[in-house]
Amino acid sequence: MKINFTFFLLLGMPVLSQAQNTCATAVPITAGTYAVSAVDGTDVPTVICATNGTGQTAGEWYTYTPDANYTVTITTDLAASAGADTRFHVYSGVCGAHVCVSGDDDGGSGLTSTASFNVTNGTTYTIAFDNRWTSAGFSFELTESPIVVPPTPPITFTANTFPSISGTYGLAVTDMNGDFLDDIVTVSSSSVQILYQQISGAFITTNIPTTNTMFQPSWSMAIGDIDKNGFNDMLYGSGNGVTFMKANATGTAYTEVSGTEYVFCQRTNFVDINNDGNLDAFSCHDIDPNVYYLNDGSGNLTFHQGGLGDHPEGGNYGSIWTDYDNDGDQDLFIAKCRGGASTAKINELHRNNGDGTFTDVSIASNMADPIQTWSSAWNDYNNDGWMDGVIGASSTDDGPHKVMKNNGNGTFSDVTAGSGWDTNPSLNIEHVSFDFDNDGFTDVLGGGNKIMFGNGDFTFFPMVYAFSNGAIGDLNNDGFLDIRNGNTVYMSDKNDNNWITINLQGIESNSNGIGARVEIYGAWGKQIRDIRSGDGFRYMNTLNAHFGIGTATMIDSIMIKWPSGHIDQVNNPTINEPLTVVEGSHPLSLLEVDGKKIALYPNPTMDYLTIENYDLLDASSIQIYTQMGERVFETQKKDSKISLTGLASGRYFLVIQTKNGEKYSESFIKM
Amino acid sequence: MNQQRTETNRLIISVCAVSAFALMLLLIPSCKKKPTVEPITPPVEEETGVSVDLTTVPYTKLSDYRFFQGDLKNQTPAERVIPYEPASGLFTDYAHKKRFIWLPTGTQATYISDSEVLDLPVGAALIKTFYYDDVQPAGNTRIIETRIMIRKSSGWIFANYVWNTEQTEAYLDSNGSYTNVSWMQNGQPKSTAYRIPNQTECHTCHKINDQPIPIGIKPQNLNTDYAYNDGTQNQLQKLIAVGYLQNTLPGNIVSTVNYMDQTKSIDERFRSYVDINCAHCHSEGKHCDYRPMRLAFSETSDPINLGLCVEPEEFINSNLAYIIKPNDKNRSMMYYRLGSTLPSERMPLLGRSIVHDEGLQLLEDWISWKQTCN
Repeated sequence: MKINFTFFLLLGMPVLSQAQNTCATAVPITAGTYAVSAVDGTDVPTVICATNGTGQTAGEWYTYTPDANYTVTITTDLAASAGADTRFHVYSGVCGAHVCVSGDDDGGSGLTSTASFNVTNGTTYTIAFDNRWTSAGFSFELTESPIVVPPTPPITFTANTFPSISGTYGLAVTDMNGDFLDDIVTVSSSSVQILYQQISGAFITTNIPTTNTMFQPSWSMAIGDIDKNGFNDMLYGSGNGVTFMKANATGTAYTEVSGTEYVFCQRTNFVDINNDGNLDAFSCHDIDPNVYYLNDGSGNLTFHQGGLGDHPEGGNYGSIWTDYDNDGDQDLFIAKCRGGASTAKINELHRNNGDGTFTDVSIASNMADPIQTWSSAWNDYNNDGWMDGVIGASSTDDGPHKVMKNNGNGTFSDVTAGSGWDTNPSLNIEHVSFDFDNDGFTDVLGGGNKIMFGNGDFTFFPMVYAFSNGAIGDLNNDGFLDIRNGNTVYMSDKNDNNWITINLQGIESNSNGIGARVEIYGAWGKQIRDIRSGDGFRYMNTLNAHFGIGTATMIDSIMIKWPSGHIDQVNNPTINEPLTVVEGSHPLSLLEVDGKKIALYPNPTMDYLTIENYDLLDASSIQIYTQMGERVFETQKKDSKISLTGLASGRYFLVIQTKNGEKYSESFIKM
Repeated sequence: MNQQRTETNRLIISVCAVSAFALMLLLIPSCKKKPTVEPITPPVEEETGVSVDLTTVPYTKLSDYRFFQGDLKNQTPAERVIPYEPASGLFTDYAHKKRFIWLPTGTQATYISDSEVLDLPVGAALIKTFYYDDVQPAGNTRIIETRIMIRKSSGWIFANYVWNTEQTEAYLDSNGSYTNVSWMQNGQPKSTAYRIPNQTECHTCHKINDQPIPIGIKPQNLNTDYAYNDGTQNQLQKLIAVGYLQNTLPGNIVSTVNYMDQTKSIDERFRSYVDINCAHCHSEGKHCDYRPMRLAFSETSDPINLGLCVEPEEFINSNLAYIIKPNDKNRSMMYYRLGSTLPSERMPLLGRSIVHDEGLQLLEDWISWKQTCN
């Protein structure tokens, strides 16, 4: 009895160990619990395998050599370490040549650390604790378990530091010089730094001095070409006003134009509000009605206030311009936030009537939610051809995250339950949607350094990464999106999925094609994107449309619906490379032959459609598509009169293909 | 140095106003006999000369109110214009302030609670002048702006008056503007692009559930002595004595302290500081009440309301794991934000563009003092 008692006493007690102070004298350990009296070793770990950078001045060193393959967990999240603020790194390799295997800073409860990783029998691992936060003592435990193969993340990223990046506001990853390669833009009060991406993969760093700008992008930034000179201009959204920085004809200097009006900017955007082919500017106003600046076509912007979210108390945080009703113009959703009993917190959806006016459809569309949100992430999460919204909570005071399915009839349905967002505890001011893993289903980067990967059916699963929200673009032109955090770019490691990137060059529409709807068709059906300047809350992302197509190996066709109404269609584009489409270069529009107009009549029509002067075309086929791009009619007959029996009323496109491969299209309305 | 200057100014005011106050004291008995019912439209012309005509305010010039006698820049209060000073003041880029209250004859404020703004009658005016001493290069005093809140029957209005360079007049300007100021602060040169707020900015802090309200004039903030021209007196007692406040105060008032008063506890000082600097947004019904902090003095006796050991909802970087972590400023979001001048990260968001060194030190001292989450 007495012996047993002693035995249990020993077993239950942590093994007190005077940990060694250098890598060279690291103490070999096996599974068990160990007490560290203080982090005071003179050998400072310099290879950092955990978050939160440097600042450590001391280390404590151990080695561990497993006698079998295990999944090992090292944790300081123990009762004996309550209140501790620890950090550790796990290395392979020898002293002075360490390679990260694992590590953690704050993964345990409180500020304790915990990490699990797989080890190989007979390999020696080094475990180093540092005093990044405190030198106080703690206990840790190493446990061995049968091997668990961790789930493979759909995509991984590697941190890539750009030492040359400098400046105050590292908010943008956007092409600035019209080569469709995303550049790294950093703004300071009297300079702009651009790292121009080269086709070779290198970057050319340019520092452009500017005037000491009246306003800086302290809240957000938007980029677009407001004067169609081929070089992108910038909008700085500050807490007191708006500054435009207009690029000169060679993109080598910027002219400041600052508004005299007081604007407490939040999200800012470039968008062609009045659809005249020139980019206008919009800014959410925190404490007043929203403001916008209309472009006269020469890049001169005139201040306006009213008609685009007029709550007298403001509450406007995240404006997203998206065509939610597929009528070809840009509608406005505003993520809103406000304390107290104010109605300024209620989100708004404004439908573009197509004539320069907007109708507040917040209630009718079921989007008038009081949720405290600074941003919403819009994409077609189920690939049905309609833009859906993830309304990201910044606080749960007035409700949690919401996933809203676009019903295609002007209304949205709450599909949050079971989506993964209902169980996602991470709140954030930033929520933005891209297809990060190129699987063909759009994802959302939100709070908790987490990508919520979409499954294409309004369900999402989380994966935690080392980066937080930042500007998103393709910084090595590999078709996989990268994320910028300050002067570190988390470069996508790619996966085997196929992709296409579509770059737009507007002619009649704005140069960037902002507001264009890009659609791709293939075995998966349909995928869509909006081109947006100003997505999420603060940052400015790529203006190129990125699509992943998963394991599919071909895209049947791409359709670009420009804000002008032009439609370009490209069939069988090459995958896994960018495609640049100039507005009107792949037209789907009827034209004149020998001075005679090819036209549809009557239009709108009830039962029949006649193609005037059809005999002048050497046609091989006629197809009719719905607005959503679904083909509903095809004939090889040379008959100029087409029966529309069986077509539902609505807007359609008629496409004539000629024997030498030309395509012409015109829209018509079936009554 | 500056503290002394302020005291000197106060003395000047006191000396100048001494006759006015003596006259006012003589009038008190007759005031007391008047009914305390709020008049629907207060008299346009008070016998003191102050003019607050609710049908025509805000006036175009500060002098139109006749709140001050003699040279306007001396800010010598007219009869029945009573100076006051909260125990702790809001930091606005080191600007000095003079505050005054005026009520229409026959009206009184009433006590609601220690922590709530006095219920001021229709016609009440609160006057607050912002100025700098030792302005470079001449070392002069420069008055920037005078903000006035007036209670109409429909609610409070804001009127902001910007001083001219001659310092002879201030003109109504509710559009907001910037003005550069450089001055010596405790022997150190400082400068700022001082922001004169517009109407909407005023309203952002001065509101509850969208309705405009004053902030500082609470019993908890006025339960301190003030050196009036006729002697030092407790400010609440003074307001009662001049007939401005109904004598219904409780025996004990839970009160804030001067955060610079080293004789007070670090906890009282810090809680007083965050009350006056932060609670106008971080309280129920206020601009940012969707964040977990509750920073009013009446609520911070429970340190969880200060964010102690509370994880922030907004992410800045992963170092900042708690709003406040005991004994660790480097992992405390509040310390980071009070030390930041980036407009989207700094706190308070409005009214400050440079760091308040003394306030930041106070927070650091409090964090060091607070060793646990309790």
